[in-house]
Amino acid sequence: MRRLTAIGAVVAACLLAASCSAGKGGSGSNNSSSNNAKTASSVTISNENGALWTCGFSPFNGSDTLLSVGFVYETLVYQNALQSGHTTPMLASSWKWGNGNKTLTFTIRNGVKFNNGSPMSAKDVVYTFNLIKKFPALDLTGDWAVLSSVTQSGSNQVVMTFKHPAVPAFYYIAGQTPIVPQAIWSKISNPVSFSDPNPVGTGPYKVNPCTKQNITYTANPNYWQPGLPNIKKVQYPAFTSNNTANDQLANGQAQWGSQYIPSIKSFYTAKSPNFHYWFPPTVNVSVVPNLTNPLLKNVKVRQAISYAIDREKVSSIGESGYEPPANQSGIVTPTFSSWQDHSLASKYNYGYNPTKAKQLLASAGFHPGSDGIMVNSKGQKLSFNCINIGDYSDWVASMQVVAQNLKAVGIQVTPDNLTNTDFTAALYAGKFQLAYYDQQTFGPSPYYELRNWLDSSGTAPIGKTAATNYERYINPAVDKLFTQFASSTSDSQQHSIMNQIQGVMLSQLPIIPVVQAVDWYQWDDSNLSGWPTPNNPYAQPAAYAYPDQGQVLLHLRAK
Amino acid sequence: MRFALRRLGFFVVTLWVALTLNFLLPRLMPGNPALAMLAKFHGQIGPGTLHALEVLFGVNTQQSLWSQYVTYLHHVFTLNFGPSLDFYPESVTSVIGSAIWWTLGLVGVATILAFVLGTGLGIVSAWKRGGRLDSVLPPVFVITSAIPYFWMGMVLVLIFGFTLGWLPTQGGYYVSTDSPGLNWIFFQDVLSHAVLPALALIITLIGTWILTMRNTMITTLAEDYVRMARAKGLPGRRIMLDYAARNAILPNLTGFAMSLGFVVGGAILIEYVFNYPGVGYMLLQAVQGEDYPLEQALFLLITVAVLVAILIADIATALLDPRTRTSG
Amino acid sequence: MSLPISGVPTAVDQPGQLPGAQPGAAGPGPAARQPTTHALARMGRAIRSNRKATVGTVLLAIFLFAALFPGLIAKDDPGADAYQPKLGISTAHLLGTTAQGQDMWAQLVWGTRNVMIIAFVVGLAATGIAVLIGVAAAYLGGLWDGSLSLLTDVLLVIPLFPLLIIIAGYAHGGGTLVLILVITVTSWSYTARQLRSQALSLRHRDFLEAAKVRGERRLYIIVVEVIPTMTSLIVAAFLTNALYAVLFASSLQFIGLGNPNTQSWGTMLYWAENEAALQTGQAMWAIAPGLCIALLGAAFALLNYAFDEIGNPALRPVRRRRRKRA
Repeated sequence: MRRLTAIGAVVAACLLAASCSAGKGGSGSNNSSSNNAKTASSVTISNENGALWTCGFSPFNGSDTLLSVGFVYETLVYQNALQSGHTTPMLASSWKWGNGNKTLTFTIRNGVKFNNGSPMSAKDVVYTFNLIKKFPALDLTGDWAVLSSVTQSGSNQVVMTFKHPAVPAFYYIAGQTPIVPQAIWSKISNPVSFSDPNPVGTGPYKVNPCTKQNITYTANPNYWQPGLPNIKKVQYPAFTSNNTANDQLANGQAQWGSQYIPSIKSFYTAKSPNFHYWFPPTVNVSVVPNLTNPLLKNVKVRQAISYAIDREKVSSIGESGYEPPANQSGIVTPTFSSWQDHSLASKYNYGYNPTKAKQLLASAGFHPGSDGIMVNSKGQKLSFNCINIGDYSDWVASMQVVAQNLKAVGIQVTPDNLTNTDFTAALYAGKFQLAYYDQQTFGPSPYYELRNWLDSSGTAPIGKTAATNYERYINPAVDKLFTQFASSTSDSQQHSIMNQIQGVMLSQLPIIPVVQAVDWYQWDDSNLSGWPTPNNPYAQPAAYAYPDQGQVLLHLRAK
Repeated sequence: MRFALRRLGFFVVTLWVALTLNFLLPRLMPGNPALAMLAKFHGQIGPGTLHALEVLFGVNTQQSLWSQYVTYLHHVFTLNFGPSLDFYPESVTSVIGSAIWWTLGLVGVATILAFVLGTGLGIVSAWKRGGRLDSVLPPVFVITSAIPYFWMGMVLVLIFGFTLGWLPTQGGYYVSTDSPGLNWIFFQDVLSHAVLPALALIITLIGTWILTMRNTMITTLAEDYVRMARAKGLPGRRIMLDYAARNAILPNLTGFAMSLGFVVGGAILIEYVFNYPGVGYMLLQAVQGEDYPLEQALFLLITVAVLVAILIADIATALLDPRTRTSG
Repeated sequence: MSLPISGVPTAVDQPGQLPGAQPGAAGPGPAARQPTTHALARMGRAIRSNRKATVGTVLLAIFLFAALFPGLIAKDDPGADAYQPKLGISTAHLLGTTAQGQDMWAQLVWGTRNVMIIAFVVGLAATGIAVLIGVAAAYLGGLWDGSLSLLTDVLLVIPLFPLLIIIAGYAHGGGTLVLILVITVTSWSYTARQLRSQALSLRHRDFLEAAKVRGERRLYIIVVEVIPTMTSLIVAAFLTNALYAVLFASSLQFIGLGNPNTQSWGTMLYWAENEAALQTGQAMWAIAPGLCIALLGAAFALLNYAFDEIGNPALRPVRRRRRKRA
């Protein structure tokens, strides 16, 4: 027996020795520079996707777009939602609206080649748009809901006609629709199921190679912007867990992160002076009331809820302070500060005010019952369940704070943590009293998100599936406001319409924004410069934002 | 012969029960959970695949329960588990194939090491009754065997991973810098990532075997033939190993096999804590991602593995110990 | 009977073997014919004299107290995000605060209740099922025995934790009740097997033959004669089942298959893992609840072990005799 234990000890020692020499390479933080020095012209992304790669790169497949559009495929224009829609011409060198905003003419850039060497021209653009018209499953941004035709004019112009003026759709048509080569896609019999393992596009990178664990992008030698990209190689490993992805950032193995990192200061930025983070706010995360509920129908109850929530606390405790408090007006700040109507906001002055909340409830005919819950003369209690996605632990934590805040004013909220599938099913069908959710529709103005929430075209009766307007808010006057916004190009007109929409949010509270969702973004500038920063927000900085991630890669260069 | 047939029969029955459980569970749960899952994947997977999955889970199907069952059994025995929903369009079998080697390596090596070390220490401790080893070991290991597996993992991560910084704490290897292959760097990387999870497994497992070995040894040492060997004047080491340990180890072998079910459970938790890319971790992810085809296949795989191990241990015991053959 | 932790069956399970594999070895038999009060008194004495039993009992008592009277030990509301997050240890916060600003000591103490409820309810229920099935199998014999034993063995062999994960997954995680149900239904088989073995070995004891000759009905014999004889084994089975209940339940809560809003040690660990407590200097958040689980488990295991030794004196620690100086 002693012999066996001796052998065991020797084996263990060997293992430890071997692992110590290998292990030192990664777990300390002092290795970020030595690791990166040998690969200064490459960047590694840390974005946890939750699964291994399938090595499909179809730009029309919702799960694969973030891997191909921006890297390999490009759009006509790059429009930056963080800079009020500032435009950068890409495959289109210029464009013009005409005919009362019902015609949009693009001039296609000369000399652009696909990464296999063949030239790109207007006919590829026309082909792409008509392809997604023929196969609506490919039309991810709903272009053809507003387009009536796309044709070629002359050798390098594309003319698009609209069913009705829809200026905000420019963001989707020009900024988010990837252009694919006709020569290749016309030969695919079923483009909807085509996985596109060897994508051919005009973008700065090619895929070479892709494995389940990692995608390597190499620079496209035929890229139309001379000298770019500076970074010749991009590594995009597949992470199945948040912790592993966070670890790779913390030890410098990955330089570009798009991660939710708890306690980010001690986990990440404390490890090196070159580690930074920035979380630009994009959309609202809101308490969504079911407006068909007899108690929640009463605007005073909704107002009371808005005054009772301590948004600062939800932000600091539920979201570790990463997601700033939201405004009841629905305007996300500071991203859309220029859209905010300050006089309106101060007129209503929604902030943490439990006293005012109780006063409102009293004026609505509620008084505290024997169990502390507000009840009215008819015996109806202010007691609701709130559905939430159980997987999102930060939302679960946020809901705990919200529930505690509301309890303090006599409103009882019971969180119901569901799986993703059950949650969306209940939300879409309207089978909830309260819900906690955000609309992932971010664009160059508040129009995109607010239209989804408030326009009645996105709603449906209880029991049927509502696409975006889950609270069942129906107001034809507000629908008209959105249509007017869509047809106008004048800045002042748009601002005045948006002010009216804010008025609706403040006076009618169809939803109650709590905090603002953000883009997750970390970066390491020990060897790379050109990163987007709060002072220079030239693109949305998350690696999962497309086609913005292509813009980031075009700006990056070795120090 | 009869013995072997009986054990084989038991194997078959248990396998059948596991298969049927797997089949019935989603149908028994209130509001067939598969319904929601399939609705979620509706637009993303081809209609043929969707239909196949509907049959598998008994959703929207006109078939009777019995014919669904027969189809299900047929699929299982042709190893056709369909596509994984999380890794669509990759098939379940190929997805599992990538993870299984990690678990076999980690759990296999750790379990064997724990068994060998534990049994060894148990024998020595029993032989030297009343010695220092004997008075210290049992209480210490009673406590370590009550420690939850995942907590042991977390403690090791804290000490060796973060405080001392000696060893990596996540994953099977450095995904962004190393590529899997037969090279020394990769091998070193894998080893360094395996040390902590293996250690966690070994520490939690070893206590049981030390204690059971010790207890059976103590009982065996009181037997007449041991006393006879001592009277004959045989050297201590020989009595300890050839007479006592050899007989005492037999119940332990069966115990070893039986406990595999629990080892598997512990391995799942350890893989979770260390994000080790094995089959257990994949099961947890499949559950969280509602990837039911993958879940089911993994459960069957784990069950079959445990059953096979038990069968082997039973046969080994039968070969080594004639008593079990006759009394069974 | 040796320690049943981690599913290693005891010598009892070998067909035809008695505990200790010794003819006439002290199994739970000799205590058999004393009336219950005597048995309890003897138990008490045994506990005091055996060090392991004492430690185990003391630990268990501490946790029971915390479960019954948490308000006496911890003044704060465990769920309230009332304080500054991530505070360290201080007199105001004995263990500091969590990343959500909750008092960790209060969470630990109030969480004891959930754990103890699960331990005791599952322990009692699973043991109840085990007694029913184990003893019934032994006494009904024949086809009943065959099929009940088969059921027990099959459930014993199927890996429980993966099964639990799958069921909890289908149930979309659930509150404490779901956990209790699911664990009870799956974990009784190990102790059922032990009880059956012992019941079998008692079958032909003289006092039972006497009862049969007296003309007592089978049910009477089972309930009045057999089960009290097996008291210590039943107690040990309860301890085993309680231990497993605690480990399984906290494991399921840890991986997120419980309700994250309940106050429990397992959910504390879930939140600690989510907030990367270990990586961000909040180790106490992960260490404290895990330590409690380990201590409670150790209490059950020590008591179990001690019962073993009380029943089988051969296993008791040998006290070294001091050599007398000449």
